[in-house]
Amino acid sequence: MLENVSGINSSTALWYASRATGVVALVLMTAVVLLGLTVTRQGRLPGLPRFAVTGLHRNLSLVAVVFVGLHVLTAVADSYVNIPLTAVIVPLASPYERLWIGLGAVSLDITVAVIVTSLLRRHLSRRLWRAVHLLAYLSWPVAWLHSISSSRDMLHSWMFLLAAGCALAVVGGVGWRLAAAARDVPRAQRVGVLMSAVHDRAALRDRLTGRDTPAARDRRPPTDTLAGQTRTNRR
Amino acid sequence: MTMATKGMPAEDTATDLPRLLPVNGQQPQDWHAHTARHGRIPYREAPGRLIADIQQAGLTGRGGAAFPVHRKLGAVLEAADARRRNPVVIANGAESEPASDKDATLLWLAPHLVLDGLQLAAEAVNAEEAILYTHADRRDDVGKRLQQAIAERRAVGSDRVPVELAEAPPRFLSGQETALINHLGGGPAIPTFVPPRVTERGLAGAPTLVQNVETLAHLALIARRGPRWFRQVGTAAEPGSMLCTIRRSDGMPRIAEVPLGMPLRDLLGPAGSDGAVLIGGYHGTWAPAAEAVKLTLDSHALGAVGARVGAGILITLPPDRCGLAETARIVRYLALESAGQCGPCLNGLPRIAAALAELAGARPRRQARADIERWAGLVTGRGACHHPDGTARFVRSALITFAAELDRHERGRCSATNTRPFLPIPRGSARTEEDWL
Repeated sequence: MLENVSGINSSTALWYASRATGVVALVLMTAVVLLGLTVTRQGRLPGLPRFAVTGLHRNLSLVAVVFVGLHVLTAVADSYVNIPLTAVIVPLASPYERLWIGLGAVSLDITVAVIVTSLLRRHLSRRLWRAVHLLAYLSWPVAWLHSISSSRDMLHSWMFLLAAGCALAVVGGVGWRLAAAARDVPRAQRVGVLMSAVHDRAALRDRLTGRDTPAARDRRPPTDTLAGQTRTNRR
Repeated sequence: MTMATKGMPAEDTATDLPRLLPVNGQQPQDWHAHTARHGRIPYREAPGRLIADIQQAGLTGRGGAAFPVHRKLGAVLEAADARRRNPVVIANGAESEPASDKDATLLWLAPHLVLDGLQLAAEAVNAEEAILYTHADRRDDVGKRLQQAIAERRAVGSDRVPVELAEAPPRFLSGQETALINHLGGGPAIPTFVPPRVTERGLAGAPTLVQNVETLAHLALIARRGPRWFRQVGTAAEPGSMLCTIRRSDGMPRIAEVPLGMPLRDLLGPAGSDGAVLIGGYHGTWAPAAEAVKLTLDSHALGAVGARVGAGILITLPPDRCGLAETARIVRYLALESAGQCGPCLNGLPRIAAALAELAGARPRRQARADIERWAGLVTGRGACHHPDGTARFVRSALITFAAELDRHERGRCSATNTRPFLPIPRGSARTEEDWL
């Protein structure tokens, strides 16, 4: 009865498991990318301290890898289509959907490299780790292409909306990241910018509380402190 | 005459000071005058041999941190042996503390003593590279003077390790150990987190010895005269002499070479019995002059007012100036000199500076004082370097020492009659990354 309704039986179970874990993996990887973008801006999530955002990014990436692993193993184990084990790692080695399965292999290889370098991060130079880690921005779109193309029905079902939503989220996240970087104050000017910000706030408060009258200024002790740099009497 | 041939002029008996600076006046010592007074460089002919003498002498770093010199020498030599890598020795003459002038004075008057110390330290740790890092524009043209001194030494062939002169950018933090390493490595003079210690991995990853120029000058004399001679002045716990920059009410820097443990009363002079004294510079401590004159110039005694000897800066605030206004002006400078790297320093110091400016004005809110106390606690110990810690110490000591003045300000009054700035501040703060290079 159940088999008839859902179409799941002993011969299709692996196929459905592979597709389900693949979809979950895509959603998880999207979340990992968005969390990674947040981490690069020292951003926070509601109710979480910063280190928890970093921890979530790390741990969720490991969960995503578990789902990718299940997705791959069930696809290989399924006998309906022929996907050899080598095609998991070697691109274009699958007779079935050569190009689209190949993209999945490329994405998997990059993901493995990103995860392994992160696990070994303490033993690597920061520059090397970062160079490999930036490949995640390549891995995600490749995985996305793989997921919408490997099975044609995904282009027509509600699942396409899910994939489109993931893509929008990542494009939006990267856009936010780039815009925020463009607004960055150069390191050498950060203190100066903050100094004028707190100065302006103090001046504003003085004006609002009515203390900034000419008479008040006359009464004040020597506070050229915010008026500007003073001449040195040494150099 | 026999004394002179041993390099010990008759006027220079054991406890006689100055030891480092020329005995008579302000005449810079050329190679001839230098060797006539001190003799040639007593090379030990093998690495490590000098370290035991330095340990017995109890020499500590004169750049402010007072770290035992023999431990640094030992650490660098050990790291060099373990990693089979030749270390680098750096003489730090950056002296970026604006109130200090003792390193520039030493480099101007007795450059050869510093360069002797650099050679001996290089030999002690088996270094093949030595760098003298300083602000070349100090004291008319100290850079040119040092170039001449190095040329003199090349002509007589006294040096075994070539010495390179390097220019420090005009930033407060440019003499900080890791900032200096960053700068010499081609980057901006901004501090990095420790570890790794520079004794392990410093310039280009090599074990690196960084010593203040005055420390090296003392080392050169200990190598000649031995640890017992060095300990003939100073206290048992803090032996030897040190160079001090003393500014009395006229604001002019006076450089004095004094034994550690000397009564501050003798250094501050008769005018310094009321008012306030700044001990240790802009990362140092304000203390009421009445308390300060009871103390002696050693970190054990100065601990009573929370101060340390540091780089030997003593400043008497003239009675006609406002200590709060002076402190606020200096803290604004210190905030602008933050490297802008670490959040607590970047966000904390500008706020502390603004609140202090409020306290320096008339009728500050009571909240400003509490804010400063809280922020000072929040920034301490949370930077890559000690810039926030030192600034917080300076600010807290001001709130205590100038408590009566603070009450006056809250009533809208100020005891100062002279509004001219007193404590020196260099011109211009960093605006672009190039200003740190």
